Amino acid sequence: MIGRAAAATSDALRNEGARSAAIEPTPTESLVSLEGVWRHWGRGRNRWAVLRDINLQVAAGTAICVSGGNGAGKTTLLRIATGILSPDTGRVSIDGITPDGNWRQYHQRIGYLSAGDRGLYARLSARAHLDYWAKVAFMPRADRRPAAEEALVRFGLSQLANRRADRLSQGQRQRLRLALSFVHRPSVLFLDEPRNSLDSDGLEILMGAVGELFARGGSVIWCSPLGEEQPMMFDRRLRIEDGTLVPA
Amino acid sequence: MTVASYYLGAMLATVKRDAVIFVSYRFRFAGQAVAMLFTLAMFFYISKLVRPDAVGPHSHYYAFAVVGIVIMAVLTSALSTSQVVRMELMQGNFERILISPMGPVGGVVAVAAFPILYSIFFASAMLTLAVGIFGIPVHTLGIPLALVVAALAAVAFACIGFLFVAALLAFKSASGATWVIAGLSLLGGAYFPVRLFPGWIRWTSEVQPFTPSVDLLRHLLVGTKTVQPVWAELIKLGAFTAALIPLSIGLLWLAVGWSRRRGTITEY
Repeated sequence: MIGRAAAATSDALRNEGARSAAIEPTPTESLVSLEGVWRHWGRGRNRWAVLRDINLQVAAGTAICVSGGNGAGKTTLLRIATGILSPDTGRVSIDGITPDGNWRQYHQRIGYLSAGDRGLYARLSARAHLDYWAKVAFMPRADRRPAAEEALVRFGLSQLANRRADRLSQGQRQRLRLALSFVHRPSVLFLDEPRNSLDSDGLEILMGAVGELFARGGSVIWCSPLGEEQPMMFDRRLRIEDGTLVPA
Repeated sequence: MTVASYYLGAMLATVKRDAVIFVSYRFRFAGQAVAMLFTLAMFFYISKLVRPDAVGPHSHYYAFAVVGIVIMAVLTSALSTSQVVRMELMQGNFERILISPMGPVGGVVAVAAFPILYSIFFASAMLTLAVGIFGIPVHTLGIPLALVVAALAAVAFACIGFLFVAALLAFKSASGATWVIAGLSLLGGAYFPVRLFPGWIRWTSEVQPFTPSVDLLRHLLVGTKTVQPVWAELIKLGAFTAALIPLSIGLLWLAVGWSRRRGTITEY
């Protein structure tokens, strides 16, 4: 198990006995804020609430783990947090910025790893993916190439830099997907089942990258299926149960 | 760097990405070039069957048809943007576009750019081949203005393509693109003059941007007479383009917002 710096774990976050302590704002200023988020799926009689009144404040430099069974609403929660989906009611913000208020600034601050193994262009090399994403993520020109090279090194892809995505193994593809989530140096990272296909080396690399994110004051919301062993110490562990967040 | 330069950089990066992917299929261009030659040759011989009283001598009809064919290539490419976006959705790449600072609308414009630019290149190559091999007479003096008309037409067609992307995002279906392409090629006069139509249907050639585009390009490149004065055709094309840009972008925004609220934006 790879632990993150103990100093980053605040006293308030250790006290996870009460449900309210787990989901209410931390004493430090929140970087990520979800307030009163409701989301339903289906229509008419088949309509059900997948997320019910979610309130979550994530302070800078902290890590939250959200677990849940299959279909509990983890991916929906992350999609709402990233602005991909709108909540039925409620508000999501990062640094006080909402996705609809300022799309560009909101999305310059976030990195997102979707669940599964999609989101790569089969015939693009690992380096081409990173160069492309650095531009699409609006990185300053001078930072793009160094950031892409750094991501190749950090995620152990240097030897595979010119290999097409469809010629990478599943684990290597996952490393590339992770590198794409980190390359533009986001301040908040949303990871949906990031352990997918990663071997122990890959996991160690991921922990190193997360550690660097903490070092510059970033935050992580990490979603994983129920029962999955966690590779790091989280400031809070939550579980989605019947659409609500409860301490895990 | 200004915000605009970031958007432009992201769009150019997307064009480069699509160009790299296109070139990675080594025989794709060769296959298209062969198909292009066959099409040009087929119309060359079909034009020999055309009655002179309809559109003039067969060489006139051939030049007339070639301009129609090349602009159809651009139209088809522009209206196929919804298929490109569907592919992005299926591969999970649209989700990545959604979380980019460029945003979904900027992303759709970006993914439309390479196919349209490539179709303009392809159309120019086709025209050059038709001149070089089949000897159609091109008015070189008309080329600069023809490029302006082609750019206006490409933007107008791209906007029609965005309407189909809006339909795709909102309803998960944009199956109308195929019949719109066929309909515009028929009603817009891609292969024959619209004056051959009976009067009751001729109005349809007046209410879309394809007719003034193809009419102007024919006039500028091969000297065919326009249906209306050149200035009127230019104003008409400009007006269609000016109206279609805000309409298509606005509907695209609405479709993105609606499908984000419904939760269907990543579905396909």
